[in-house]
Amino acid sequence: MGKVLSAWFLLVLAGPALAAGNIDLLARTCNNCHGLNGVSVGTSMPSIGGLPKVYLANIMKDWKYDKRGAVTMNRIVKGLSDDEIDALAAYFAKLPWVPVPQPASAENLAIGKTVITENCEDCHGATGSDPDVGAPRLNGQWARYMALELEKYRDPEFRMTHRKMRKAARELKEGEVHPVAAYFGAQDK
Amino acid sequence: MNGFDRRTFLKALAAAPVASVLSVPAARGATSKARVLVVGGGYGGATAAKYLRVLDPAIAVTLIERETLYTSCPLSNEVISGERDIKTLQVGYDGLSRHGVEVLHDEAGQIDPVKKTVTTAGGKTLEYDALVLSPGVDFDFGALEGLTRELAETRLPHAWKAGPQTLLLKQQLEAMPDGGTFIIVVPPGPFRCPPGPYERAAQVALHCKTHGKAKSKVLILDANDSFSKKALFEQAWKELYGYGEGGMIEWVPASKDGKVERVDPETLTCYAGFGEYKGDVVNVIPPHHAGKIAKDLGLATFKDKWCEVRPENMESTKQKDIYVVGDACVGGELASNNPFPKSAHMAISQAKVVAASLVAKFNGLPPPEPIYTNTCYSVVGHDWGFSVVHLFRVDAGQWVYVKSGSGISPVTMGTKEAPKPVPRLYRKLEVEYADGWLRNVLADAFL
Repeated sequence: MGKVLSAWFLLVLAGPALAAGNIDLLARTCNNCHGLNGVSVGTSMPSIGGLPKVYLANIMKDWKYDKRGAVTMNRIVKGLSDDEIDALAAYFAKLPWVPVPQPASAENLAIGKTVITENCEDCHGATGSDPDVGAPRLNGQWARYMALELEKYRDPEFRMTHRKMRKAARELKEGEVHPVAAYFGAQDK
Repeated sequence: MNGFDRRTFLKALAAAPVASVLSVPAARGATSKARVLVVGGGYGGATAAKYLRVLDPAIAVTLIERETLYTSCPLSNEVISGERDIKTLQVGYDGLSRHGVEVLHDEAGQIDPVKKTVTTAGGKTLEYDALVLSPGVDFDFGALEGLTRELAETRLPHAWKAGPQTLLLKQQLEAMPDGGTFIIVVPPGPFRCPPGPYERAAQVALHCKTHGKAKSKVLILDANDSFSKKALFEQAWKELYGYGEGGMIEWVPASKDGKVERVDPETLTCYAGFGEYKGDVVNVIPPHHAGKIAKDLGLATFKDKWCEVRPENMESTKQKDIYVVGDACVGGELASNNPFPKSAHMAISQAKVVAASLVAKFNGLPPPEPIYTNTCYSVVGHDWGFSVVHLFRVDAGQWVYVKSGSGISPVTMGTKEAPKPVPRLYRKLEVEYADGWLRNVLADAFL
């Protein structure tokens, strides 16, 4: 532990520029699972490049301090300092959001749109591109990932932090989960 | 898109206080800043080649790789069980060419570390300013009496390099009758993919369970007395397939005559101490070591098997300007028994450190601070997966295993006094993430 602390001390002495250089290499470790420049190609993994800074910083700190449940990320972020988390959030927030519009059936689009107008639009925007502070963008995010997130929110055993989101997700009928994810996943803008 | 990472990287490095001015080696080509050769086009080599070009296109990069198609070892156990098509694990080298990597399908032969050249089997001699070796592993078939390279390709496949042997083992499993015994022979550690044999046992059991062969056995004969993610595997085996006496899966540790010394390819019998085990399919994973090319050069100084490297940039401790990444190297906090696991994720992480270090060096900029991460998923059933993560930093020239950023998926939840089972959604999510991880690492390294 003392060793790690002394490394941090040196880093602080070296000044913010070196720290920034270091964040690049650290950020690049995220690419393994979230894609180059935070654009994922794995359907169960979210794209993170261009997500709002507040959202990214909050979610990583919630995992780090065990306020929010996760299966992998909670373990990964515990090795990062709060400063590193803030720097990573700033790094990815500055990258452009690259939506990956995925095909969806007309039926899913219709159901999804109705449910979203009722349940999701207020915080995320009608197509998911206009989120409130602290909420993620959803347009062109991976539908499979979003459906899994909704499953987490709907499972009372899974500790999710956001009260409004928990409520909204649990109000959905079983058959509405996939259409909602499909609708947001299909949006370009 | 790639320009973004490159710009921020060079800008951040240039803005950093320069402690000492590093000399920039003379460029060999007329237009390139430096010439890097990469030997071996697996996860490590492909990542090194790609990221060098992404970060600085003025560096000329040549990748020497024998094959034209790569097959991912991670998740190839799912091919053996029939759960996954091998095509989902395969990728070519066109993506690297698009980044301006010169891909040479040839075999690296002789390395001259003094003249700084590599001569290929095809007769080409290439010069380098820096050489990145990512040779993977080669097998020591002679370590087990009765085993030969030819037998490994026919009667006793290892399938520890994904490809034809993966499909061969799959065929052998499919041909195995109900009530048959599938033996997995595990070599002494450290070996490639520490949880691999135990994930394989689960996948084989899954195949048997779902193909009307519930009376079959999966027998793990182990040269070790413990293994990666043991508590998680044992829990899942027990729950899904039955484990131990009367169960489908049985694990025999070295201390209970599990260390196989001899195999009889005719009768498919394994001999270990006083133990004698007859199988219907025998999957022998032979002991292995750093790829031949690195070993021949005298780089495998650790137990005469693995290549020691410098924590700050993965440079060989034996040869200047030669960097070793992937399963061939040894690293991590060895004193506390926390070595770098031999995984694809780790190889990618190491290769990114090499790429960033070389780009800094060739641009006369201070070296970036390295960071090494690992994530490794194991899929043991439909909707049942788990993982381990690792984080290593470097302090005062030494690797530091960061315990707070490392660890396995929970075995139980609740408190120590009142443990609760882990909700099934957790296990299911890790199966989903294993697939997402695979697609992203393949793209991160090759596309």
